[in-house]
Amino acid sequence: MLSSVISTLFTMRFIQAIIRMSTPILFAALGAFVAASTGIGNIAIESIMTFAALTGVLGSYLFNNAVVGVLFGLVIGILTALLITFFSMKLGADAFLIMIALNTFADSVAIFVLYQITGDKGTTASLTTPILYTWDIPIIKDIPILGEILSGQYVLTYLCWLIIIVLFIVIYKTPLGMRMRACGLNADAARTAGINVERLQVLSLILSGVFAALGGVYLSLNYLKIFSKGMVSGQGWMGVAANGIANGNYWSLVLSAVIFAVFRAVSIIFSSNSAFPTDLVGAIPYFSVFVILTVVSIVNYYRVKRGKVEEN
Amino acid sequence: MTENKNKASLKSVLSISNPKVFDAVKMMISILIALAITFVVLCLVSSNPVNAMITILTGPLSKTRYIGAVIESFIPYAFAGLAAGVLFSAGAFNLGAEGIFILSGAVVTAIAITPVTTSPVLHPILCFLGAMIFGGVLMILPSFLKAKFGTNEMVVSLMLNSIYAGIAAYVVRTFLGTLKRGGNSSKDYLATAKIPYLYQPLRITACFFLLIAVTIILYLVMKKSRLGYQIRLAGSNPRFAEYSGISAFKLAISTAAIAGVLSGMGAATCLLTQTTFYTPSQSLVGIGFSGMLLSMLGRNNPIGIVIAAFMIKYLEQGTAVLYFVDTSVPSEIVAIVEGIIIMLISSQHFLRKFRERRLLKEGLEEHAE
Repeated sequence: MLSSVISTLFTMRFIQAIIRMSTPILFAALGAFVAASTGIGNIAIESIMTFAALTGVLGSYLFNNAVVGVLFGLVIGILTALLITFFSMKLGADAFLIMIALNTFADSVAIFVLYQITGDKGTTASLTTPILYTWDIPIIKDIPILGEILSGQYVLTYLCWLIIIVLFIVIYKTPLGMRMRACGLNADAARTAGINVERLQVLSLILSGVFAALGGVYLSLNYLKIFSKGMVSGQGWMGVAANGIANGNYWSLVLSAVIFAVFRAVSIIFSSNSAFPTDLVGAIPYFSVFVILTVVSIVNYYRVKRGKVEEN
Repeated sequence: MTENKNKASLKSVLSISNPKVFDAVKMMISILIALAITFVVLCLVSSNPVNAMITILTGPLSKTRYIGAVIESFIPYAFAGLAAGVLFSAGAFNLGAEGIFILSGAVVTAIAITPVTTSPVLHPILCFLGAMIFGGVLMILPSFLKAKFGTNEMVVSLMLNSIYAGIAAYVVRTFLGTLKRGGNSSKDYLATAKIPYLYQPLRITACFFLLIAVTIILYLVMKKSRLGYQIRLAGSNPRFAEYSGISAFKLAISTAAIAGVLSGMGAATCLLTQTTFYTPSQSLVGIGFSGMLLSMLGRNNPIGIVIAAFMIKYLEQGTAVLYFVDTSVPSEIVAIVEGIIIMLISSQHFLRKFRERRLLKEGLEEHAE
């Protein structure tokens, strides 16, 4: 029983599944990271993904074109980010409260819209929507093992990898990235050095909204091919958790997101085997986030503490 | 002379410069804006928006049992709001009430289906105690990790919500379940565990009075006691609280414990009055999360939170009444109202210009006198 599950862990299909599943978590993690780089904790990723997933399907349905759907999702991601900045920067509200409120009623708003358009409160299954395609990379697809893994993924997955590389270069190798990180490290010092902190923070929040929205449209236009209630199921929060674990280290951000995806994939394999209790198996990804986050913070705590002791 | 003075003091009490009056005015205007936006939404979706609006606002008053439904259903939400209010007052972003509700629901169920006692008074009390102790202990975990190791309590508590939901579903299915109802629900509660109605038409139970008592006690604790002062201080200015010798660690643990106890209480009130069995994937889902919104609506004030809970449940009942005649408006529209009000009242600068202008004018008038 267990051996049959374990044997599926080392197949090509499992690695492909991890690549597929890590995409939305990576997008969410990038969103959390880019906002955090200028010192903003964007915890509204989950709700932006929900909004974008729904509007993505609707845009694709209305214009019979999946690319328009993606644009719809991006627009709603940017609008949500602007809504947050409007309330927190212009009206002086606590950004955390605004974002918690957004997350809490995102599902209700999505259901309201869904019901108006489809007459159904659960999914967009009744709408026939064009979806985004997979992409076979010309030469790589013929390489035996590598081709099977790298080729034939969804287009947004390739975009995700591209963004990972580009964002790394922008944040760590360009003046703009340096300025953004300066805002995150010490906003007052950055301001003294003549950096327009507020403008960079708005920019990073918009970028964060864009990445989160890409994660959302990936779910509804690539991965599951419909919008369904509660489909984001904590993947946005996994991105936020990955950012918390990484603590400013870019590659451990990417690694944590992939690890969370591995646990999601494991959970799905276990739940397809009736010998394991589905209720508990379904909680594996969340449990992995909880354990990893807690262990990392405990290790950091003792590292700092020991450092202090040595200083004395 | 005295008359003049009295007049002046009355004027200053009612004037916009009084922060309490300003808050009330701001709340009113926020509600009006939210209702106006709701009306616009209704115009888009409903064929008869004016009627729909009137039904949402007055529908629950049309029949006694509608008001009864509001009174019965708002109680657990009010408890969830109180729990969130305590945590938010202390500046703790522990969002774990949702999971505590669902898991302590399983505890209530375990006690309610076991013939531990034949007394119809003692049995519900045991259910309550079980849920309260359990909730109080479990709620501490994220706050402990945050206070001791600096772990992100928001992410931890959200992950725990999903974990607790999984555990509750597993426990109910495996140990408390019955093959009836698709295997997802528990056995029926024993008659002794149920809380009877004191006044059937309005569905008033002892839980109603429990809520009032808890609200008053919590209000007094938060506003008048040493602990409440420390909690609010830690929430508004954590560094000052630390320098004045308040132990942030102890405070985090005690606020989490209070919130957990309140959540457990809320779960018990819901299950022992509104249902006869427990379905973890349905019965208590969403109450803990709604509590956070209610706490923001009530501005962390226990009495405000209870009023907010009643108001929101009233509006939901209004949409339910509307649904009988007009199926184009689902109850989720209440979330839109709620969201707009929350965003506006938590905006410090909203109406600030208006207030400043009034203050300036008043100051000039006074000067002229």
